[in-house]
Amino acid sequence: MTPPAPRVFRKVLVANRGEIAIRVCRTLREMTIPSVSVYSDADRGSPHVRAADQSARIGPAAPADSYLNAPAILEAARAAGADAIHPGYGFLSQSASFARACGEAGVTFIGPSPQAMERLGDKESSRRAAVRCGVPVIPGAEDVPDADRALAEAKRIGFPVLLKAAGGGGGRGMRRVAAADALASEFESARREAVAAFGNGRIFVEKLVHPARHVEIQVLGDGNNAVAFGERECSLQRRYQKVLEESPSTAVTPKVRAAMERAAVALARDAGYAGAATVEFLLAEDGTFYFLEVNTRLQVEHPVTEMRFGLDLVRAQIEIAAGGPLPKPAAPRGHAIEARLNAEDPYQGYLPQAGTILALTFPEGEGIRVDAGIAAGQTIQTHYDSLLAKIVAHGATREEARVRLERALSEMALLGVRTNQRFLLDLLADDAFRTGATYTHTLESRSWPAPVGVPDEVLIAAGVALFGAREAAALERDDADRYSPWGTLGGWGRGAPPVPGSSRSAP
Amino acid sequence: MSRALQLRYRNETIEAALSLQGRSAALERDGRRLETTVARDGAWIEVRSGDRVRRCAVARGGRGVWVAVEGTTYFFEVEQREAGARGAAASADEIRAPMTGRVVTVAAVPGTEAREGDLLLTIEAMKMEFKLTAPEDGAVLEVACAPGDRVELGQLLVRLKPTAANGGGA
Repeated sequence: MTPPAPRVFRKVLVANRGEIAIRVCRTLREMTIPSVSVYSDADRGSPHVRAADQSARIGPAAPADSYLNAPAILEAARAAGADAIHPGYGFLSQSASFARACGEAGVTFIGPSPQAMERLGDKESSRRAAVRCGVPVIPGAEDVPDADRALAEAKRIGFPVLLKAAGGGGGRGMRRVAAADALASEFESARREAVAAFGNGRIFVEKLVHPARHVEIQVLGDGNNAVAFGERECSLQRRYQKVLEESPSTAVTPKVRAAMERAAVALARDAGYAGAATVEFLLAEDGTFYFLEVNTRLQVEHPVTEMRFGLDLVRAQIEIAAGGPLPKPAAPRGHAIEARLNAEDPYQGYLPQAGTILALTFPEGEGIRVDAGIAAGQTIQTHYDSLLAKIVAHGATREEARVRLERALSEMALLGVRTNQRFLLDLLADDAFRTGATYTHTLESRSWPAPVGVPDEVLIAAGVALFGAREAAALERDDADRYSPWGTLGGWGRGAPPVPGSSRSAP
Repeated sequence: MSRALQLRYRNETIEAALSLQGRSAALERDGRRLETTVARDGAWIEVRSGDRVRRCAVARGGRGVWVAVEGTTYFFEVEQREAGARGAAASADEIRAPMTGRVVTVAAVPGTEAREGDLLLTIEAMKMEFKLTAPEDGAVLEVACAPGDRVELGQLLVRLKPTAANGGGA
């Protein structure tokens, strides 16, 4: 039987913001499909708005009024004549009701069917699917109604336990509880967070596996069949948010990889899954692994898989949604590492940071990919996720990728908002990362001090910036001074395009 | 011409003197002197001493100046000499918002005693909750916020009078 010819979408609306919206628009442009971006009032001037061929306002700054506002997004799609919606990650990407509403509005949701999403996206239902498919799961209890019941279940399973929001994603709404006395207050906090973040207050209690690595398998399904594209290790996390991700994992043997891929493919096939999904596992030291959850969408860290497999996962999502065939996995090549640049202060409890980006330059060069959603002059607010950019390095070996990522992060400069850039460099240089001794508790089990001591040259630069305005003319460099290898760096300055390919053009 | 440079980097106060003359910049700090030549290229300042060149990105903004060098970014607040001590307020702990966000719960009650580590309030930003706890034992003097309030970075939330300061702290 030959598959039906892929239907080319007339126009695709990207229902997201920041780096992922820009990244999806790039693929749409390469596929010569016109794109529509959407924005809240807070994002009117944000780079993702300019990345698409046209754009539409969808509401006030609060996510519930804009990027989670399904009627406004569907209306924007209708008004723009878009016949498909790419949801990115977060926001409505895992909302079965949104996927259903798209279908009712005659718009293709680029992602799984609402049924497959419900089956695998919900933690409890995906856990039942895992059990049915013979995939090992962590001991736990589903849908715990109150703190008393949570305590009883926790005692049965044994402390420490994890409290998880049934509707959560990206690690949000998860809490670790070491002992019985802290359980009640943590349960109430977890529930409040779950209601606020996901509109769903159901909580799940499970045993904490320790020490553990977070390893996930990328799969693509076409509704009948599914294929796996290796693993990503994302053990380095703070507050359950990933910081560095890599592929392959130093801890995954060919045998473990094959078993994990079989499990992930079985789950996708069982659900009749069409689109991209990530099946997350906890890997224990002895090589046993436990099913965690399925993310029924594109992951933030998908570029490490793309760089190794030479594959565009967004393109694959679009083609699958249009009825096209699954791509065939090529042999993976080399090693890729991604660093997440966040607007946060790692030396003060990772507090989210706000401010206006005064100056910005991105790294370039061999083996470096930058997926960013920021530009000089842009004001970073705390309405949304703190992710500013992803810097990804690919190398023939892990060490080559590691050194390359260090080089790239050292080249980068972002002024005006505190970020975790130095922290990322410290992590990459740390023995734990160099030796691959990366566990989910690694970041939180140690203190990561702020850099101490300010170099004299830095003070001179600060002084020149403060006092040197009058003298600035005298300091202007002439060409004879072009001694620095940095002189060739481009992409600098206020008002410069944030990313290549983001300029407007006619559809 | 030499200018006094008084900057605050996180919890550290840095004092130095900077002389700028054409392209020459000399810094005196902690009894040592560094002579450099500087060149400006857009937002970059290149500081050269001997064979060593450090290329710094700089920008003035807010209450200070930002400098990035080799992957490390410094924000220096320009120190303003405070006129006089803060007096009575110096013996109270001021709990300030560590970020812009929304107050979710308030546990602190004015007139009650809080023990070190006791929950005072929780703030939410970016869908994450942060607990603010008492840094030491003390009496809650004032609660300057209520659940649902939107608070800005650095805004006063709770004042505590430390128990240890009773009867004769400095």
